[in-house]
Amino acid sequence: MGFIDLNNVSFKYKDNQFIIKDVSLKLLKEDFTGVIGPNGGGKTTLGKLMAGILKASKGDVFIDGLNSQDLKLGAIGKRVGYLFQNPERQIFAPTVEEDLTFSLRIKGIEKQQILIKAQEMMELFQLKHLANQFPFTLSQGEKQRLALAGTLINDPSFLILDEPTTGLDIERKKQLTNILKKLQKKGVGMVFISHDDDFINNLSTRIIQLIGGEIVADKRK
Amino acid sequence: MKYTIEVKDLCFRYYSKEEDTLQGINLKVEKGEVLTIVGLSGNGKSTLCHCISGIFNHLDKGSLRGEILLNGRSLKDLSRVDIIKQIGIVFQDPDTQLFSPTVEDEIAFGPENLCLETDVITYRIDDALRVVGMEEFRFSNPNHLSGGQKQLIALASVLSLEPEIFIFDEAMSQVDKAGKLLIKNKIKALKKQGKAIIMIEHDLSNLDISDRVMVLREGKLFDFNGSLS
Amino acid sequence: MLIRENKIDPRTKLTAVILISSLAVLIKDIALLLGIFSITFIIALGFGNNPLALFKKLKKLALLFMAIIIIQSSFSSGIPLLRIGSITLLTIDGFTKGILLAIRMCIIIISATIISTSSPREIVQGLIQWKIPYEIAFMVSIGIRFLPLFVDEIKDTVNAIQLRGIELDKIPIGKRMKIYSYVLMPVVATTLMKSKRLSIAMESKGFGIYPRRSSFKRLKLSKVDYLLMAAFLVGAFTIVTVYLG
Repeated sequence: MGFIDLNNVSFKYKDNQFIIKDVSLKLLKEDFTGVIGPNGGGKTTLGKLMAGILKASKGDVFIDGLNSQDLKLGAIGKRVGYLFQNPERQIFAPTVEEDLTFSLRIKGIEKQQILIKAQEMMELFQLKHLANQFPFTLSQGEKQRLALAGTLINDPSFLILDEPTTGLDIERKKQLTNILKKLQKKGVGMVFISHDDDFINNLSTRIIQLIGGEIVADKRK
Repeated sequence: MKYTIEVKDLCFRYYSKEEDTLQGINLKVEKGEVLTIVGLSGNGKSTLCHCISGIFNHLDKGSLRGEILLNGRSLKDLSRVDIIKQIGIVFQDPDTQLFSPTVEDEIAFGPENLCLETDVITYRIDDALRVVGMEEFRFSNPNHLSGGQKQLIALASVLSLEPEIFIFDEAMSQVDKAGKLLIKNKIKALKKQGKAIIMIEHDLSNLDISDRVMVLREGKLFDFNGSLS
Repeated sequence: MLIRENKIDPRTKLTAVILISSLAVLIKDIALLLGIFSITFIIALGFGNNPLALFKKLKKLALLFMAIIIIQSSFSSGIPLLRIGSITLLTIDGFTKGILLAIRMCIIIISATIISTSSPREIVQGLIQWKIPYEIAFMVSIGIRFLPLFVDEIKDTVNAIQLRGIELDKIPIGKRMKIYSYVLMPVVATTLMKSKRLSIAMESKGFGIYPRRSSFKRLKLSKVDYLLMAAFLVGAFTIVTVYLG
């Protein structure tokens, strides 16, 4: 069994056509899975189904052995991190440091421990010099690193990234690649949805191609 | 010689910043030429686009020094109508460029502002949709399209204005391979028609259609020699 | 009397909506309001909209109406209907006022669904041809267009907060309010940023360069439209006469 299993999953919004058609997949933590395919092929929808943000219209999604229908997002967040295509949607607080730590504070974790964690994350994602900045004036790359750090501070063991290279230039793409490789070493499994061939080829161990809501290719390197 | 676009010693400083974002830019683009400007984020690429397309002309965002000439006439002396008829700009973020309830209305928006006749507008909608290969989405709601499809519609909505000068500000960032090929072919066709084109890019694989490549680094423009920094 | 919805001009529908909602606000008589309510219901049905589907959603409003009735009661001195100890919970006066308000709101909500059978684009075109400045008409249309995006954004943000491992239903209500305040931040910030970019994009395509703009679609009122509008006007006039007379 994979960390995330999709069994004959189909999805549609209300009365519209199916966006995902009878997809079955096993996603392993050991893999770096790239999901590629043309625009409008259902990549983002598939990612949201994997993360349990959307629930399957038909079929079942299992996350860490649990059916996503029964899982609340809060419970999923402890297992799977999801990076939205637009990082602005997952930045919440008036300073970078507060944004990183607010979920820990709400959960009532000890102050000292929060501080250590925040420092560790800011170090890893090169955000230290920005700790007291207003997050919405950061550059695209910085916002994205912040969103990633905020996701990873909960120690999920699996990450789903939707178009993580959008708006990043070559230098920042390299930075992101390096960070993701570090996470790989730590044993975090990953799925990235992207149309950026170089990025996918550079990182993936498995590439899934999605066209018209169906998997047309699934190859391991 | 009159260039379609000529920028002389352009400096621009946002009121909110202490330093000039653009520090003495000089560039010339002729009819039928594609100039690509590459550079890392935060080096002023979008600011340059905004300056040339006259957006900063009436949006008081900062101080602009130097000169921008379109066909030999200074941007400062041109009316908004003149500027809009001459320059079309496709922006990076597709979500904030599309605001109409259907794709068709989106493409008609520019021509309607220019008070064109109904049959001209209809013809331009047909043409623009065909060029970007999105005919079947004519009556779709732009909200329901994917990022790349939205960028294709954003391009179509500028094509329908039929300007002489095109500025593409990272306009292909979310477009897939097939879409990129479509856009590149269209740019080649526009070039043949004698349009002047400035492309802003960070994806170096899109450089093959350009005649010249320059790099923008810390507010200054240099000839591109393969490295961004 | 089902009329093919797309054949009716949005202006005819707008006329109906304006008349009905003005009547609902103006009239304070329960019997008449109930009459207007049923007429509105039939009109909505005739335009191809099923208000019954709406009632499921309106159910949620029932609580609000109850609250209004109680509040009205506590502020009006009248014959008490229900009291607990020395506290008057319901008065006849408060009860009627509350009911009136509830019917009114139902009328207005149902009448608004009449216009929703036209596309936003048609509505804008209708407004423009009614000589309403196109800038204003567009503001309305963009509002309609971006509302669902706005809702999506809020949903995504609430999802993103929960995905940080916060289990909302396990958190006490006070703390939960604090969490919801975190939703506001990204929503306001992105809305401001987006509206700025949006206006730049619109202006770069020449929005507002001329005092008027052309349109590749034009609406034409048909005989049925004129007939319907006349009927609405006569109907409204009759109701007002009955009410005042």
